[in-house]
Amino acid sequence: MQLLWQILINGVLLGGLYALMALGLVLVWGVLNIVNLAHGALIMLGAYACYYLFTVFGLDPFGALPVAMAVLFCLGYLIQRYVLNLVIRAPMFNTLLITFGLEVVITFLAQMIFSADFRTVNPSYAGANFLWLGATVPLVRLLAFGVALGLTFALWLFLDHTAIGRAIRATAQNLTAARLYGVNPRQLYALTFGIGAALAGAAGTLYGVVSQINPYIGSGLTGKSFAIAIIGGLDKSIYVLVGGLFLGIVEALTALYIGPTYTDVISFGILVLVLIVRPTGLLGRTA
Amino acid sequence: MKLASTLALSVVVVGVLATVPWWGSAVLVQFGINALILATLAQSWNIIGGYTGYPSFGNSVFYGLGGYGVAVGMVQFQLPFATGLALGVFLAVLFAFLLGLPVLRLRGHYFAIATLGLAEVMTAIVSNLEIAGRNIGLILPLVKGDTLFFELSLALLVITTLTVAWISRSRFGFGLIAIRENEEAAAVMGVNTTLYKILAFALCSIFAAIAGGIHAYWITYLDPTSAFDITLNIKMIIMAVFGGPGTIFGPVLGAFVLSAISEVLATKVTSLASIFFGLVIVAAIVFMPRGFTDLIRRFRQQGWRYFQANIEANRV
Amino acid sequence: MDAILEVCHVTKRFHGLVAIDKVTFTLEPNKILGLIGPNGAGKTTLVSLISGTLEPTDGSILFEGAPIHQLPAYRRGLLGIARTFQVMRPFPGLTVLDNVAVGALFGTANSSHGLSEAQEEAHRWLKFVGLDHRAAQRADALGGPDRKRLELAKALAMRPKLLLLDEVMAGLNHVEIEEVISVIKKVRDQGISILVIEHVMKAIQSLSDRLVVLHHGEKIAEGEPEDVLSNDEVITAYLGRKRL
Repeated sequence: MQLLWQILINGVLLGGLYALMALGLVLVWGVLNIVNLAHGALIMLGAYACYYLFTVFGLDPFGALPVAMAVLFCLGYLIQRYVLNLVIRAPMFNTLLITFGLEVVITFLAQMIFSADFRTVNPSYAGANFLWLGATVPLVRLLAFGVALGLTFALWLFLDHTAIGRAIRATAQNLTAARLYGVNPRQLYALTFGIGAALAGAAGTLYGVVSQINPYIGSGLTGKSFAIAIIGGLDKSIYVLVGGLFLGIVEALTALYIGPTYTDVISFGILVLVLIVRPTGLLGRTA
Repeated sequence: MKLASTLALSVVVVGVLATVPWWGSAVLVQFGINALILATLAQSWNIIGGYTGYPSFGNSVFYGLGGYGVAVGMVQFQLPFATGLALGVFLAVLFAFLLGLPVLRLRGHYFAIATLGLAEVMTAIVSNLEIAGRNIGLILPLVKGDTLFFELSLALLVITTLTVAWISRSRFGFGLIAIRENEEAAAVMGVNTTLYKILAFALCSIFAAIAGGIHAYWITYLDPTSAFDITLNIKMIIMAVFGGPGTIFGPVLGAFVLSAISEVLATKVTSLASIFFGLVIVAAIVFMPRGFTDLIRRFRQQGWRYFQANIEANRV
Repeated sequence: MDAILEVCHVTKRFHGLVAIDKVTFTLEPNKILGLIGPNGAGKTTLVSLISGTLEPTDGSILFEGAPIHQLPAYRRGLLGIARTFQVMRPFPGLTVLDNVAVGALFGTANSSHGLSEAQEEAHRWLKFVGLDHRAAQRADALGGPDRKRLELAKALAMRPKLLLLDEVMAGLNHVEIEEVISVIKKVRDQGISILVIEHVMKAIQSLSDRLVVLHHGEKIAEGEPEDVLSNDEVITAYLGRKRL
């Protein structure tokens, strides 16, 4: 019973990070109708940004987080503005293929620049943990969970309560009408993708603290983000939270009761099941 | 007549290709086998993706099942190669029917993601199976000489292309095209859309499985990551789309051109090979999203403006 | 003579909204039945129920005496029911000829089996509707009236026994409307039974043998065109209040 409780705690903490990972993907998907196969690569870049800020400048990872987000935001903005904006009215299939191309390019460049070695970000408090109701809670994971929740909430606030956020949502629903209100689609799209990339960067930073990184983690993380997005549902950021927590807990339970090598079977199996049985996600309406 | 000259040209090309193992270098033959197998995969994808309009990101499952059919059959049960192939094909077609039924009800990108998910699931499942050698994989019996594999791959590509040619002029094929163009209208006009979609899926599974089986036997080694290689999906789609989806020769053209350029760059500028692939994809989607065959047709009329026109049509 | 189409107490509910409410009527073979009613009355929904795009929540639909309301759309097409769509549904990437050829290849069981046969058939039907000169053009390059001709040709190529026409005359001028009326009469003369949804009153009057009026999903009148069109309830439904 004790073990089960520990596993659940692990699952929830992991789930928060998962939700953050998928958040950027869902934003870009919902607003721009772009299914970004390079999403995981952006997470990977965020992780490396954190790594270098930590090892070269001695910046604490949680302090490096805003910097990494800013860097990724700029990168995302440029990618959307000068590459993706050129194909955005083509059938969505084309954006799938072009983002795959970007993924290949980014991964290759990362491998050239950063080398293929595994790395981790190890702040001084990496090993610290404390007991809570009998379960061991690693400090870094708890902090990561907190940041993930915070950013999810911040995104919701941004989209619902700021002028720019509302402009983004308006554009998602009706581009023509938004244009009539003076929205400049090129900049808005670039802004949105930039925010999605920044969120990926944040997820990457946290990922680098709790796990090992190398240039090739991108595609696996993209797949996982997809699973979370579909399982939760694409309509609201809060649904992603549910999807992330759900997957985190399910994976933790799978690792315990079936075996750690089966986590992928379960995650992607659930993805396929959800698509077949309830394509709108556990919570969502039709996307 | 156009048909007769195309036919004559094809026969000549195939004939010439068939002789390559006797005068080509070992490197050329190996390149040839890889290109032929990729062309078969692109052509098989053409059936479900190009003609029927259902972009499958999971054909790698059929490829992997074909490979494992051969590997498990030959290694665990001492079956001959042909029987192993039959086993692989059987598994692939079974998978196509069982999982095709629920998944083909999805449209567009949901279908794409579902098939991608299936590909991931199969990779994960197989890496847990004892009989398939788990993560370590299986080692197949060695066969000396690439000539056999070259001719087998060539024959497979020819058969696959002939099937696609038949599809393009048959009632079945017209039904598939109707489904792609407007599925609801097709249904109302009497096309049994569910049956046709599953048949198309099963058809492409056969060719992908045989390709996988040949490849596995050729490289003598199989493990889950290489058998169910997810990036193969993207490669075959890029080649089919780049060459011209929904055409008879487009995917073959796309596969050969892309493989050739990739190979040339790999030998000249080694480190650039993988990044090339990514850059070419990006450039192709931006400048020529309708593929090579469309480019050839329209370039005559429009010249360099063709590229600009494509961007203008698709940008914000 | 036995009716070719019987709609019996058909009801269609969408999540609590009743779109069609216990509608009953029959269509005699080789006759033209007009289906009219104000916008939103449920006419297209009713046609979708007959053609198989939708299934009824309640009630039954019989075609040539046999129940079809639970058959998938393609089976009804094979049995001999064809329809045109109000929002037209061509196969955009195909030529006009190939669009019609699909109808000739599928549709009722005695349709052409080879592609070249089907294309010959397609030419015949294109000539019938007056569109053969555009046979080689892409379907999405056609203008409005030509698209309607294409819809009709596609449906006719299926060699149906029952043809469901959904507002084929919308947006046409007088001359074009007269042409369509004569084409529809020619189709009826070939032995096909027709159900026509239309808003153009004069046209529906001259075409129909009988009329059915739908309002808020209910049938409020049925009978000879003259009687129905002078019916008070029908006039109120269209104009909102009684004619003074």
